[in-house]
Amino acid sequence: MAHVSLAVRLVARTFAGKTNSLSCMTRWFFSLSLFAAAPLWGSDTLVDRGAYLVRAAGCVSCHTNPDDHDNGGGGFLAGGRALRTPFGTFFSPNITSDPQYGIGQWSDDDFLRALRHGIAPDGSHYYPAFPYTSYSRLRDEDIRAIAAYLRTVKPAAAANLEHVLPWYLWRGAVAVWKGLFFEPAGFSIAPDKDAEYNRGSYLVAIGHCSECHTPRNRFGALDSSRFLAGAKDGAEGESAPNITPHRSTGIGKWSVDDMVYFLETGALPDGDYTGGFMSEVVDDSTSHLNNEDLKAMAVYLKSLPAIHNPDFAEKQK
Amino acid sequence: MKFILKSLPLLLFILPALSVADEAENQIKYRQAVMKAIGGHMGASALIVRGKISHRDQLKAHADGLLAMSRDIPGLFPEGSDFGETEAKEILWERWDDFREVSDKSKTSIENFVKAVETGSEDDVVAAFREVGKGCKGCHEDFRQKHEHNH
Ligand code: HEC
Ligand code: HEC
Ligand code: HEC
Repeated sequence: MAHVSLAVRLVARTFAGKTNSLSCMTRWFFSLSLFAAAPLWGSDTLVDRGAYLVRAAGCVSCHTNPDDHDNGGGGFLAGGRALRTPFGTFFSPNITSDPQYGIGQWSDDDFLRALRHGIAPDGSHYYPAFPYTSYSRLRDEDIRAIAAYLRTVKPAAAANLEHVLPWYLWRGAVAVWKGLFFEPAGFSIAPDKDAEYNRGSYLVAIGHCSECHTPRNRFGALDSSRFLAGAKDGAEGESAPNITPHRSTGIGKWSVDDMVYFLETGALPDGDYTGGFMSEVVDDSTSHLNNEDLKAMAVYLKSLPAIHNPDFAEKQK
Repeated sequence: MKFILKSLPLLLFILPALSVADEAENQIKYRQAVMKAIGGHMGASALIVRGKISHRDQLKAHADGLLAMSRDIPGLFPEGSDFGETEAKEILWERWDDFREVSDKSKTSIENFVKAVETGSEDDVVAAFREVGKGCKGCHEDFRQKHEHNH
């Protein structure tokens, strides 16, 4: 019973604006049967599970440079991909197993600190362009699986590139930002919801859909009161639409099946196909997930509160 | 009168510009209409291919329609049709050769889809249809940027 009310509080907190809370609260994990159940992410070895999670969490798109053919980089997870954001241009680092250029020497604890707390092995803070704001939801055992898999990724001797940022965004400023806007949330199961919903909620969290589909305040922190309600002018100037079930400005008219098919193929219900960043999300991430997991994500998304967003006005679909 | 005479040269300058703008606008409207037609055939085909509906006998017509409309996608994007209500990105014209290549690949995938519908097994049809979708998504990834207002 105590667990239940705690879980309810955690959920309420996660979804009702954790931005102002400065208290540090970590690692509340509830092993409910769905997560304990045997073949977890459709596979059984630690490395296979890690490979699946790296897809589910969308690490590949950011850490693989699609158009670096002549720089020696461009290898799978070798980094060097430019991410142009309203805050400056970030270059993703090499996360292959190369001991010198990559992260071949990292321990499990290094991974836990990086993905859950946004802290580097030398104690410095990572910029939230690395969405640890979402990955702080990853469960311990899943982070360990990711670490195990990354150690098997072919090493690439590609050096990291410097970010190009305005002067006021030096690394030290990140500590202040994190103090205001970041709390390593952990993942909490909603006890009043079924296994499918909870699984979907976890996959949408680690799939970091909200990093693009939720609007940000002027400090770049997500506005959790408008969770997934669409965000104009994000990275590369792209706008990510409202994916709450609002009927005219969101995806209220989509069936669960429409959503599964979309995440599998990028096809919209009206025969159009997605583009921009979402093509990458589908290619590198969601199209690699099994149908059960895609359905869980769809069920969860359909159950969210419908939020009206006039920026994405009136669809005929 | 003096005013009109004075502004005449300006008018002469503006009028042809206006008609060029008009033409660009029509080019944009036309290609969007063609893309919508392509989307219509894809949406209809998806329902059949996924077994949601039983009009298998119509699939050939949709496949042929797709091919007919996709024969020359670059031809829908003449130079100068880059301003106005378009979702085509600037880089489409800057990276014209890439654009042409992506569009050729898409056409080939549609030709294969037509063949699969004519003579292939149901599995071939499903696989070929997937490839067509990848072609649409691949081009939209690089060369189209949706506006937030769906029109
Ligand atoms: C939205 C783009 C994006 C995604 C998605 C992403 N990363 Fe990163 N990652 C970055 C950026 C940018 C940095 C550099 C941050 C900095 O310099 O402060 C980074 C840094 C890292 C680092 C630190 C490397 C070092 O040398 O210190 C690791 C490890 C890492 N990411 C692993 C992952 C894993 C594992 C995933 C998937 C679970 C992932 N990333 C997903 C953008 C991304
Ligand atoms: C890197 C940014 C990014 C991430 C991460 C992302 N999306 Fe998207 N998404 C977009 C953009 C941009 C579009 C609009 C694509 C276009 O131009 O067609 C989009 C479109 C969509 C659409 C189509 C909506 C419509 O009305 O057309 C759905 C559904 C969707 N995303 C769901 C998701 C889900 C679920 C996730 C998490 C697994 C996710 N997205 C993660 C950027 C993102
Ligand atoms: C070679 C590039 C390319 C290919 C291949 C392609 N498209 Fe497009 N498509 C575009 C561009 C660019 C636009 C934006 C046009 C504009 O707004 O001027 C677009 C727009 C669209 C639209 C929106 C039309 C509107 O304005 O309402 C639909 C629907 C569409 N495409 C469907 C498809 C489908 C389905 C396929 C695959 C069979 C496909 N496209 C293949 C480049 C492509």
